[in-house]
Amino acid sequence: MSSTYSTFCQTPNNQMAEPMFFGQNVNVARYDQQKHPIFEKLIEKQLSFFWRPEEVDISQDRADYQALPEHEKHIFISNLKYQSLLDSIQGRSPNIALLPIVSIPELETWIETWSFSETLHSRSYTHIIRNIVNEPAVVFDDIVRNQHIIERAQEISVYYDDLIHATQIYQMFGEGVYEVNGTSVAVNLHMLKKRLYLCLMSVNVLEAIRFYVSFACSFAFAERELMEGNAKIIRLIARDEALHLTGTQHILNLMRTGQDDPEMVAIAQECEAECFELFKRAAEQEKAWAEYLFKDGSMIGLNKDILAQYIEYITHLRMGAVGLKSAFPHATHNPIPWINAWLSSDNVQVAPQEVEVSSYLVGQISTDMSTQDLSAFEL
Amino acid sequence: MTMIFTADGVFELNADETLLEGLERTGHEIEYQCRSGYCGACRVKIWVGSVDYPEPPLAFTAADEILPCCCRVRESIKIDCHKAITIDRIQNDLFAPDLLQDLD
Repeated sequence: MSSTYSTFCQTPNNQMAEPMFFGQNVNVARYDQQKHPIFEKLIEKQLSFFWRPEEVDISQDRADYQALPEHEKHIFISNLKYQSLLDSIQGRSPNIALLPIVSIPELETWIETWSFSETLHSRSYTHIIRNIVNEPAVVFDDIVRNQHIIERAQEISVYYDDLIHATQIYQMFGEGVYEVNGTSVAVNLHMLKKRLYLCLMSVNVLEAIRFYVSFACSFAFAERELMEGNAKIIRLIARDEALHLTGTQHILNLMRTGQDDPEMVAIAQECEAECFELFKRAAEQEKAWAEYLFKDGSMIGLNKDILAQYIEYITHLRMGAVGLKSAFPHATHNPIPWINAWLSSDNVQVAPQEVEVSSYLVGQISTDMSTQDLSAFEL
Repeated sequence: MTMIFTADGVFELNADETLLEGLERTGHEIEYQCRSGYCGACRVKIWVGSVDYPEPPLAFTAADEILPCCCRVRESIKIDCHKAITIDRIQNDLFAPDLLQDLD
């Protein structure tokens, strides 16, 4: 069968009958008929969330940062480095890994919208780091040199890379066994779907767990009225990540419950043990990360034990949401319930103008007009 | 009257509050984040009864799960939610009421 990618496949198709992935490539970006309307709702929500880091005033953070003790500077900067890594991956990988294989228009556009919002996060980190240190390059350069960060990068990117490599071979040559750089590689659709499922589960882990250690530290600083500009930006990022997590949970649950490609049900079962280990391994890595953060001292309100309990707690919740057995069934209590007030988007300021005028509206059109309304104008 | 049964008790849901607010008011341990149906943090299992939604929420829910932040409760229901463990409750557990009564 022909599997070559085309940016505009000219074979007419019925997008209502295509699976989410590995059907015919999307041709017309149409949303009049939708197989899974949830993805358009996610797109609309994400667009309504639009924000820019420059809108947030972070000028006080510089003074706050200078006054922090060294071990707290380490906690703050290390988390920013780690988040920079996560969003570097997320700003490009869904596009590169998933767009060549997606086969319904609303999901294709969700992937693009999702990935774009991650680029806003990356730009935020530069905005924050530029403000607090004199040489941002020192911070960014360390991301690929710091052993503790690199270990995580490997675990996150490997699932994307495995899927991308197999897709490239499949789309160039189709199913078969090929010699690539001296090793024999077998490529078939079943194996590709398996790699896709594992890749999506790894993304789910990233959005569900990996961000939250940094979030907790940022909000713990802000609880002490320190680095509050940073916390405002992190809240906007957390709001986006909660939506992305919902998107990924939907994709995984549509697959494993047989509401999309029927073959994915068996694949989800085949992958179950590996998905369980993926979550568990990520939780252990995040605990190790918490230990690295607090190696020279804890901060008020947080230490490595509390963070470890929190990691187990959210891992427990998130595994249940995608139908997996919990790796930490005893972790049923949130050790830092105050974090929810920060993660809550109820009190996220959505437009910078709101500080002055609470009734400021963006993009509003009044249709209630009469010709009299223009009577004061003279031509 | 809409009664909410949980794993740890029962309460009446006020007309002007969401189920999430009712659970918080009565000291239940309930996770939350967006409070508007897109994050799924508050999802709980429903054991008896059913709820509906003014608008279908964005977050994923399994067939036996509901979102207390945005659902509409029209009948008495029973859900899988526990009371938070507070200092008061720990102390009450340690000192049974009749233990102190005997001292009077």
